[in-house]
Amino acid sequence: MLIEREPYSLNAAEKQPLLLSELNELTGYHQQHCQPYQQLLAAQWPAFVEANQTAQLPYLAVRLFKQLKLQSVPDAEVFKVLYSSGTTGTPSRIVLDSTTAAIQSKILVKIMQHWLGKARLPMLIIDHPAVIKDRSNFSARGAGIQGLSFMGRNHCYALNDDMSINFEAVEQFCRQFGDGPVFVFGFTFMVWQFFIQQLKQQQKTISLPQALLLHSGGWKKLQDQAVDNSTFKQQVLAQTAIHKVHNFYGMVEQVGAIFVECEQGHLHCPTYADILVRTPGNWQTAAVGEEGVLQLLSTLPRSYPGHSLLSEDRAVLLGEDNCPCGRMGKYFHILGRLPQAEARGCSDTFSPSAKPEAAL
Amino acid sequence: MSWTLLNPATTRAELQQPFAEQDFAYCQALSEALLKTPQSRDFPDLIALGFWLRQANLKPLLAPYQQGQFIRQPLGLVFHSAPANVDSLFVYSGILSLLCGNKNVIRLSSRSGGSTAVLIEKIRALAATFPAQNARFQLVQCDYNSVELKALISTIDGRVLWGSDQAIQAQRQLTLPAHARELNFGHKFSLCLLGAEAVLAADNTEFQQLVQLFYRDQLTFAQQGCSSAKAVLWLGEVAQVQQAQQRFWPALTELIEQKQPLNSSEQYQALATAQQLIMSSEQQLMLTQQQSISRLAVHTLEPVFINQHQGCGLFLELQLSNLAELNPMLTQAHQTLTAWGVEPSLLKNWLMAAHTGIDRVMPVGQALSFSPDWDGVNLIEQFSRKVVCAF
Repeated sequence: MLIEREPYSLNAAEKQPLLLSELNELTGYHQQHCQPYQQLLAAQWPAFVEANQTAQLPYLAVRLFKQLKLQSVPDAEVFKVLYSSGTTGTPSRIVLDSTTAAIQSKILVKIMQHWLGKARLPMLIIDHPAVIKDRSNFSARGAGIQGLSFMGRNHCYALNDDMSINFEAVEQFCRQFGDGPVFVFGFTFMVWQFFIQQLKQQQKTISLPQALLLHSGGWKKLQDQAVDNSTFKQQVLAQTAIHKVHNFYGMVEQVGAIFVECEQGHLHCPTYADILVRTPGNWQTAAVGEEGVLQLLSTLPRSYPGHSLLSEDRAVLLGEDNCPCGRMGKYFHILGRLPQAEARGCSDTFSPSAKPEAAL
Repeated sequence: MSWTLLNPATTRAELQQPFAEQDFAYCQALSEALLKTPQSRDFPDLIALGFWLRQANLKPLLAPYQQGQFIRQPLGLVFHSAPANVDSLFVYSGILSLLCGNKNVIRLSSRSGGSTAVLIEKIRALAATFPAQNARFQLVQCDYNSVELKALISTIDGRVLWGSDQAIQAQRQLTLPAHARELNFGHKFSLCLLGAEAVLAADNTEFQQLVQLFYRDQLTFAQQGCSSAKAVLWLGEVAQVQQAQQRFWPALTELIEQKQPLNSSEQYQALATAQQLIMSSEQQLMLTQQQSISRLAVHTLEPVFINQHQGCGLFLELQLSNLAELNPMLTQAHQTLTAWGVEPSLLKNWLMAAHTGIDRVMPVGQALSFSPDWDGVNLIEQFSRKVVCAF
């Protein structure tokens, strides 16, 4: 099983046959246990028995988890239901049984340990403490923070409830742990807007030279402010002395097997996951270097048919097994979201209770 | 809470005699402005509107309503609400109402852009030359809960709502005066009927013309106009239909490849919608992906398709041996049936017996052409009062 292997240890020749066999097995499993999935296979891949390569595996548009209840376990075995942030529209609904939930946690830890080391580090969370208490906002941000809190100790929340910096807490954290390795985590936009920008405006710096900053959650709002990854890193370094800054990409539909950015700025597939890029329209797989829509493969989802998903993100595959960072596996860039298809007909998209998008 | 008049009146709005020369002149001037402006080239809907607004089109269209034993009078003050993203639809009902002599207030979505912006600019530019018409054709942007809107609605004589069912229901919360008329044009689903035998028998010229006309109906607005077909009905026996499909779809996809009417988001939308329909249907559907369009074979039209189908190049396909097989599937939401290669007498006889659904049957190529008869209602009759005079 791939889940027993190290996150970036297998080259394509070792990984692809194992991946293919596990994903074929999962496809068959969901076909038997999820009626709508069976209907999809019969309609779109009527001749499908087994894929000879991952590109032949059936895939599911990720938004279907917002529209349909998709699960491969009986209700009695449902352990937990995850919801996406849902700042716009209906949230995704991901059904976990205890086995899938446990594997997700185990794999997340395994990947994190690769980057952070095995010892739990003091952890600075760039958010306010209420984020894990407020049930209405809990979904994505709270769950993400709670999930990663496992990886740290002596947790310190860097922000107050009004999103201002809690300088007293931050300074105390730096005094106590600043000389050693620490783990800093936050959502990309929160880190930028409410931490780095505020430090800059108030002409303050902190010093965490041995810290590793991990951040996630999309670049859209930063792109709107014309902030790219290198600007982000430069500013983080200037205000906090942190030079190890890693973005990661993941989605609620495939929790666990996340894609972490290496020192070269490339997102890496861990052993348990893989990606393909498809050209919109004919949906054929695109060549290395060619832009398309990102398909995500993961060997973890067993309680819901989420092992092969067509995301709504545009991406480009950069290579496989040959990243200068030395890690094995495919590596890629995310180029942003597909724009919302604009309604151009009489059936407009009115929503009476549409709220302005929340701060995140 | 906002209330913004886009073309403020410079004179008091007064009711007019229906079909007044000055009102036609206003339409003609707007037509010329639209057809002349280079911006229209980016918006096929503005070109179509420009042609529709010509006196040479409108006068014959309205001539039948100027005869008869009634004296026609305007209805009064009419409120029109345009859908959020249909760029020029509001003009058609607004202009017909203006020509009926009414005073009109037209609510535009604050999200409207593109061709609507061009239209607003042209309408504003005409205000100085046509102050009386401008005062009777007031464009406004406002929230559904604005105080001004509520006050206005309590004084109107007629209300016309275009848009999604949700938008219509939300706007119906505002109470009309007891006497006021109400017209609602909600979400619709349209169909295209192709005779398999005729498709196979057509010579190359006829066939290419069919493909072009079908493309115009369905892909001008990414299959999202309410009268653009989302389902293709093939009339004929199974084997014949299969042959006709094999002739038709490759020709259409070739045209689509040339013209590239769908962007990547729309292509994703088509695929995602196809998967949603497949997974939520009670039947086993079959998907064929043909370059940038998706075809979904169905055995019956399910009511859920009406709301779930988002257009963007997804065609449901249904084989019919006999038109009457369609009747139990039709609902009030089924609006336009465009037809090609089907015997007119066959169509008419069938239509007489189809008591639910289908408001218009048009030749393929004319799905998007506007007529005063819309969704089974005659707008001219609704926008005016027929006064009986027994002397």
